[in-house]
Amino acid sequence: MIIAVIPAYNEESRLAQVVRDARKFAQKVIVVDDGSTDGTAEVARHEEATVVRHVQNCGAGAATMTGIEAARTAGATVIVTLDADGQHDPHDIPALLRPAEEDKADIVFSNRFGQRNRIPFTRRLFNAIGNVVTFVATGKWVSDSQSGFKVFGPRALREIQLRMSGFEFCTEIVREAAKHKWRVAQIPTKVVYSEYTMAKGQSFASGVKTALKILLRSFLR
Amino acid sequence: MKLTPYQIVAPLIALLAVVYAWNLVFRGKKTVWEASFWTLFWGAIAFVALFPNTLGYLSTVTGIENQENAVIVTFLGILFFIVFYLVIRLEELEQRQTRMVRAMALREAEMSGKLKTEK
Repeated sequence: MIIAVIPAYNEESRLAQVVRDARKFAQKVIVVDDGSTDGTAEVARHEEATVVRHVQNCGAGAATMTGIEAARTAGATVIVTLDADGQHDPHDIPALLRPAEEDKADIVFSNRFGQRNRIPFTRRLFNAIGNVVTFVATGKWVSDSQSGFKVFGPRALREIQLRMSGFEFCTEIVREAAKHKWRVAQIPTKVVYSEYTMAKGQSFASGVKTALKILLRSFLR
Repeated sequence: MKLTPYQIVAPLIALLAVVYAWNLVFRGKKTVWEASFWTLFWGAIAFVALFPNTLGYLSTVTGIENQENAVIVTFLGILFFIVFYLVIRLEELEQRQTRMVRAMALREAEMSGKLKTEK
């Protein structure tokens, strides 16, 4: 069974369309409401998604891991994770699923830089820094390590264990891939950046904090 | 070459740290990459302990040539590690809290039957 996992924090204005689109390609949609203070959970329920609700905001990494555990319990064989802000095009899901379904990859990363996309310079820069930090911490190069749009095949779904709560979880996923020697595939995907998605992303200060946390953790682990 | 007690103890501790790191690699808890960094770090400590004259270059570069400066730098190093330790402890507490929030969320979802396996 293919399950879509959508971690969401205060996304009532965008979530409905994302859930609707994701359902076209997944048998079940799980929305992890990460302690939202708006109507995110109600919107998800209205769209008939399964809602798992954190009583308080724990971060994108924590919400993703909760979604993964919920998907395991629900009997998922493959899961696809995507952001709730609508920056990913769910029509890319079949292409992302293909390497996992053909048993050619255990984890599939989307690559927002693999095709012609209008991406603001600051985003390109932050993502490039994120890729370098991830490489230094894990020894594995992924072209778009910070994207939340991924597919976990049966093996990755069984073995993954995320500890980091914040945005550093993207790097931790690459670390898990290196540690467990998962087969990795990277598929170019579309991305839509708007003022809304830009405001939702990490600021420069939080990016620096994330990078320091990753490097510190990888050394002291 | 006559060795001081420090020159014997420091490389031994470094060796233990390196063996521990690679043991974690074989147990699947640390990546080869992380263990390599760890080996480099402790290797440097052992090297400096065995060949202290190599620090002569460092003291020329940093200007730490007298004892007062060395004491300040040493205490800065100690404070640095205390902050490291506190950060790690805080992270552990944060992780514990996250696990509790997750367990509550999953239990609530399971009790309401939303996660029932569909076969």
